[in-house]
Amino acid sequence: MTRDLIKLYNLPCEIKFCKKCTVSNQRPRITFDENGICSACNFAEYKKQSIDWSAREAELVALCDKHRKGNGEYDVIVPCSGGKDGSFVAHQLKYKYGMNPLAVTWAPLKASAIGRQNLDAFIASGFNHVLGTPNPQVTKKLTHLSFKHLGDPFQPFIYGQTNFPLHMAVKYNVQLIMYGENGEVEYGGDMKNAFRPTRDIQDHNSHYFSGLPPEFWTEHGVSLADLYPFMAPKLGEIEKNKTEIHFLGYYKFWDPQENYYYCHEHTGFTVNTERSEGTYSKYASLDDEIDQFHYYLSYIKFGIGRSTSDTAHEIRDEKITREEGVALVKRYDHESPKKYYKEFLDFCSITDEEVNEVIDSWRSDHIWHKENDEWKLRHTVWSD
Amino acid sequence: MSTPEVTVIDYGVGNLLSVQRGLEHCGAKVILTANPEKILTAKRVVLPGVGAFTNAMPALESLGLVAVIRELAQRKTPLLGICLGMQLLLEESDEFGVTAGLGLIPGRVIAVPDRTLSGVAQKTPHIGWSALQASNETDGWQKTLLQDNNPGEAVYFVHSFMAVPTDPMHRIADCIYGGHSIAAMIRRGHIMGCQFHPEKSGEVGLKLLRRFILQ
Amino acid sequence: MSNIRLIARLDIKGSNLIKGIHLEGLRVMGSPNEHALHYYLQGVDELIYMDCVASLYGRNHLGDIVNAAAKDIFVPMTVGGGIRSVDDATEILRVGADKVAVNTAAVANPQLITDIAQRFGSQCMVLSIEAKQVGPDNWEVYTDNGRERTGLDVVEWVKRGVAMGAGEILLTSVDREGTRKGFDIALVKAVSAEVAVPVIASGGMGKPEDVLTVVNEGGADAVAMADILHYKRAEIGDIRAVAENAGLGVRHYEYA
Repeated sequence: MTRDLIKLYNLPCEIKFCKKCTVSNQRPRITFDENGICSACNFAEYKKQSIDWSAREAELVALCDKHRKGNGEYDVIVPCSGGKDGSFVAHQLKYKYGMNPLAVTWAPLKASAIGRQNLDAFIASGFNHVLGTPNPQVTKKLTHLSFKHLGDPFQPFIYGQTNFPLHMAVKYNVQLIMYGENGEVEYGGDMKNAFRPTRDIQDHNSHYFSGLPPEFWTEHGVSLADLYPFMAPKLGEIEKNKTEIHFLGYYKFWDPQENYYYCHEHTGFTVNTERSEGTYSKYASLDDEIDQFHYYLSYIKFGIGRSTSDTAHEIRDEKITREEGVALVKRYDHESPKKYYKEFLDFCSITDEEVNEVIDSWRSDHIWHKENDEWKLRHTVWSD
Repeated sequence: MSTPEVTVIDYGVGNLLSVQRGLEHCGAKVILTANPEKILTAKRVVLPGVGAFTNAMPALESLGLVAVIRELAQRKTPLLGICLGMQLLLEESDEFGVTAGLGLIPGRVIAVPDRTLSGVAQKTPHIGWSALQASNETDGWQKTLLQDNNPGEAVYFVHSFMAVPTDPMHRIADCIYGGHSIAAMIRRGHIMGCQFHPEKSGEVGLKLLRRFILQ
Repeated sequence: MSNIRLIARLDIKGSNLIKGIHLEGLRVMGSPNEHALHYYLQGVDELIYMDCVASLYGRNHLGDIVNAAAKDIFVPMTVGGGIRSVDDATEILRVGADKVAVNTAAVANPQLITDIAQRFGSQCMVLSIEAKQVGPDNWEVYTDNGRERTGLDVVEWVKRGVAMGAGEILLTSVDREGTRKGFDIALVKAVSAEVAVPVIASGGMGKPEDVLTVVNEGGADAVAMADILHYKRAEIGDIRAVAENAGLGVRHYEYA
């Protein structure tokens, strides 16, 4: 049984690749202009040419002045994982902008050794920190269910990553939550927030949860009590707290690779010993062993693997050329996760046959076809 | 006054561009060629060389240049062999079995010793900067290409084999490696050789090239 | 023993000098030529140009790099990155390099080492090694700019490479490079002890004094410096002075 991805994600039937980067129009919610350039690339141009960054920084300073408490209480929640982006945000807010951040981490599904090491190094570099760990039995169950039904094992993590900071903001009476970059805007998606520093809390269902909030899983026999840690606080509580979600990427020119250099120097961040599966990169998204399966399913669903995502932003950030990006995509994008495959099967209580069944059920006919009994992409960025 | 010309033999083995650039930097017009006519009528000739004796000699043979270079010696055209180019001037080499050279300066080419004079193992190839000193029998450098240089100045060596001229009078400068004297600069009449790379020895080497252009 | 060589290492991508940390990151430092010329005038003994992403991208742009190298530099140049055949090496030597450095292609096909050495002489064939510590006394060989594991032990591989004809070793510590924490002395020592060819230590130089430890304790014959020079934390002259004052044999350079 193959699902109707076109309908589910509102995808264009005809696959096109951006003329500037490596991403295709199959990334949900991305748009291409009449010159065949994606919204993320256009935004990157806009970032470089048309934004007065000193004015934006002045807005940040004003925002910090407004929220700074100066009495020992936390005045900003920084969601982080120990990776380069959250660590950068936290360090900047504390040491450059004089805030008193509480760094909050939603526990990875299955923490990698390098991820834990980087998180510890970050905390040790001088931060107050809270780790939210939901009942691992529930996590496993949800991972299994979301992999089977949504084709994405990462959903439970995404719930927590989005909702846990909202809980912490309410509990600690902090109005300001500061994320790194707005992924929808920087990497291609709904551009509605391209020109503002915030996002609406109500959007998380469509932008991050594929339209299925935690409550949905009661239909699959998970109790509301078990789902409670994954759910957002009541909207009323969020509003009463006057919670605002901001993106540092609005106030400062966002360059993930430069965050790596910064965090190596300031928060003890270190890269992985080898490249991550499915890509060439050693510095991004290192925290979770289950991570690779999320990216791989994205490759199956949309033809967009981890290399595509990594090269796309590095092209926009002018680290590599499109030609180089294409060579890397060709070399690594198709790589299926092997390193933690056994752990994944155990974690999700699933068999190899079931995994393949799930994977194949997400192969849309408009993206995949069989050639000599092997699945091949109909369109690739290196041959189109 | 016209620009002095230097003809560099291009026989497919060698770092020609560096030699060319070095000579041009010193004010020469450089002609790269394997054409026997052009070489024979050249004002002054450089024989460069990087690599193995056993590749270089056949390369010269196949281009008909062995006879040409010997003829240059007859005509007393100033000829400078650099690195492997200097080794080729000798009679034969031990590299990868015994191979005959151009035979323009009596002597042989043998391996750089892998032990110091006191018997301690030392690294080969000999790679790096070593200071030049006047060879024992030489009469000072006044009448040589090193007349603008001073003993003690360092030049760059990179070689696994070294030339040992039979006649000590043909040795102009040596360097010391592990206590052994290595022939760094040799000469017989108009035929000269430097084991080191003058085009890779900074200003010290360029002085030598400038002097060669005046030959 | 030859004088210790002070070498400037330039990691190149496209037309830019770049500098990463742990062989990751492509931060642009400026023009390779401008930096190289400056180092030459400051008395550097040699230059190494590495196209660090050639293997990763499956391409070979070395001709451009070497051609673009400053015309007024007269010290030896080693060029590496994406050299996959004797033809590649021939081309690179023809356009100005003195030595070629090979890593990824040599691991895939060790015969290449012999082919290059036989054609051009061992002294031209530098075996470049990216070494990552995997145990208290072992290091693993990596390729593709520190991206791919090989399962090879560094010391075993070095011995084999030298037996096949490599005339020099460029030994880069993936753990230390770009970190300024000092060279991996144990690594350099382990390799130097096993081979009779010169070893160039690369990766981690934090301060000029680090030259002394890596030579005296590690047995290095040369040091490759990148971060310390490109970020202008020290000049070649400072490092040479430290070496000379400590009695380390280095060429004496007269500053004009």
